[in-house]
Amino acid sequence: MDLDFTEDQLDFRERVRTWLAENKPRDPRPDDPQGVREFDLAWQRTQWEGGWAGISWPAEYGGRGATLAEQLIWYEEYAAHGLPSIDACFVGQSHAGPTLITRASAEQKSFHLPRILRGEDIWCQGFSEPDAGSDLASLRTKAVVDGDELIVTGQKVWTSFAASADYQELLVRTDDSGTKHKGITWTVCDMHSPGIEVRPIRTMEGGAEFCEVFYDEVRIPLSNVVGGLGNGWSVAMSTLAFERGTAFTASQVHLARIVEDLIDYARDHVGPDRRRPAIADDEIARRLARARADVAALRAMTYVGICRSMQSDTPGPKGSMLKLHYADLHKDVSALAMEIVGPEALRRGADRHEQGWVGNYLHSFSSSIGGGTSEIQRNIIGDRVLGLPR
Amino acid sequence: MDLLPSEEQLELLSAASEFLTDQQPIRTLRDRAGQDCAVDRAQWAAGCDIGLLTLGLAEEYGGSGRPLDDEALLFRELGGQLAPGPYIAGALGARVAAACGDAQLAARIGSGEEWVGLAELRGDGEIGPDRVKGTFDLVDAADCDHLLLVTEEGAALLPPPAAEQVTRVEAIDPGTRLATTTLAATEPTHWVPAETERLADRALVLSAAMLAGLAEATSELATEHAATREQFGRPIGVNQAVKHACVDMAVRAEAAVSQALFASVSVSSARQDVRFQLLAAKSVAGRAAIDNAASCIQLHGGMGFTAEHDTHLYLKRAHVLDHLFAEPADVLAELLTQGAAQ
Repeated sequence: MDLDFTEDQLDFRERVRTWLAENKPRDPRPDDPQGVREFDLAWQRTQWEGGWAGISWPAEYGGRGATLAEQLIWYEEYAAHGLPSIDACFVGQSHAGPTLITRASAEQKSFHLPRILRGEDIWCQGFSEPDAGSDLASLRTKAVVDGDELIVTGQKVWTSFAASADYQELLVRTDDSGTKHKGITWTVCDMHSPGIEVRPIRTMEGGAEFCEVFYDEVRIPLSNVVGGLGNGWSVAMSTLAFERGTAFTASQVHLARIVEDLIDYARDHVGPDRRRPAIADDEIARRLARARADVAALRAMTYVGICRSMQSDTPGPKGSMLKLHYADLHKDVSALAMEIVGPEALRRGADRHEQGWVGNYLHSFSSSIGGGTSEIQRNIIGDRVLGLPR
Repeated sequence: MDLLPSEEQLELLSAASEFLTDQQPIRTLRDRAGQDCAVDRAQWAAGCDIGLLTLGLAEEYGGSGRPLDDEALLFRELGGQLAPGPYIAGALGARVAAACGDAQLAARIGSGEEWVGLAELRGDGEIGPDRVKGTFDLVDAADCDHLLLVTEEGAALLPPPAAEQVTRVEAIDPGTRLATTTLAATEPTHWVPAETERLADRALVLSAAMLAGLAEATSELATEHAATREQFGRPIGVNQAVKHACVDMAVRAEAAVSQALFASVSVSSARQDVRFQLLAAKSVAGRAAIDNAASCIQLHGGMGFTAEHDTHLYLKRAHVLDHLFAEPADVLAELLTQGAAQ
């Protein structure tokens, strides 16, 4: 075993570091949807021009075609520079794009993939519905074939960045005569189509990128369907095979930073006895130290997971363990921060990006809900990793 | 970068694992409950024959000269199988002898001819090159030929105290022999300063690896039980309350094993943050071993509360290992004084 990076990999890290230091966005990220759209697309364009866009995408589709070790390095450095792991370009880069690469036709690929990489389009995801959350396959948004078009009527929910998106990866029901996993279709939806109404949902942390989307007889060309009518479930799952354990690296590095910042904060701010620094409190000190240890182990788990991916082409469901553990730790650390901050935590300013520990705490609740709740993750791990009966 | 066991390592492990299941199955802990030593001398020698103590020892001292991650993998196996006997003290004791150039003693310890028990300072005392004194817990030191003491400053071998100076204590764990002694100033026979070799670091790797292996073993035991034990006409593992508890155990075990291996490689590659990684490994593995053993008992219901079932043996051993080489509270305090991970 070894933790050594090769000369080439060290050189790669140096180039990433230098490029990020010189090119990362300097201005604060705006708060309004239009501002966020322009900001995130501009940053995507900068990455494209620098040759870094689509770090995990194969070179034949314009991606960087980086090895797993290089992806790990990229995400580590990316997070170390304080860049957000999830922004408006996330769905295009990490979900819709990889799905298109895996399952779309040559025409569909040649139109969309370059636009995603060059920072021309923002994508959003139309999967969840009010009555199809964890039980995604029970979705009911209906699509009827009419000539060479689908006519879509229904509702989606929890769609981040819908208000500023150009395209959506949309799951619709084209057939409800069989079992629920059959009869689902994956299609590209132009968010500027007539009949689409987007309503923002404010989140508990004050964010406004979350939306619900209503479809009233929205016409989508059949040529937008990916993988054929009725095959949408397997198309939606194909991204799982694309992701091989590196995408979580940025979140994990970011969490390690939060823990280190919190330790610094506890050194510089008075603790519960109102005299000594917070870190002088035994309980706070031990919880901070445990957080350090746990986050170190999360990184070791990430490395082990990437090593497993290097050995086999198909990623194991063990990846769900990382997300689950990360969510628990993120919430624990964020709750600890609230205790350390003390009564100051009652004061909440207007700008959520200036919120510091309070904003981080409120945001942390999403980590065990978004992208599959921790309960669903535990079901997946129990069934597929541990082989427990269902 | 590679944190997965190689083919060669897997072969080595399966040989060790086979030996342990055949020769020292968990029931031997019960069979030997009344005996002075937790492990039979002939069995111990047989384990030494296949190199359980000398995997990482240099070949010139009779070892296999394998890197520390091999030893970490082996001790993970020993921990998971609740192997009785002073394995860490033996492996480190042979290393102390070797570092002092005492090839003969290294060979005698490695072959199982001479035994090394562990002495853990409890309370005030002194451990140094010139003298050792204080009150000590003796762990698996009955009938031993040497005592091993490990501190941040160095590691010592010392002759065991006379029988009348030792008070036997009933241990929480039926697989561990415990005693206490107070030593007046005694001169070590062998001393390895930390500058020569950091035995304390290796002790943390090996104990973390054992704890991680134990956490893994209870995770597997509980999952197997949940998959086969039927109530209300179905395996209990179909219930999320049970299934999710099994998952949490698996996650804790995965984190503990990953960090123990990461720490072992950190030592061999002399990373700047090696101490950080070691302390993190011990803390994560200690909590995982105890929490998993506790969950394992709960998931076994009434059977888990009996002496007849193995579940309590894992819990008790986890507590023993958690208090060796560094107190959990001290581990956390020192971890907080470290700089951020590299």
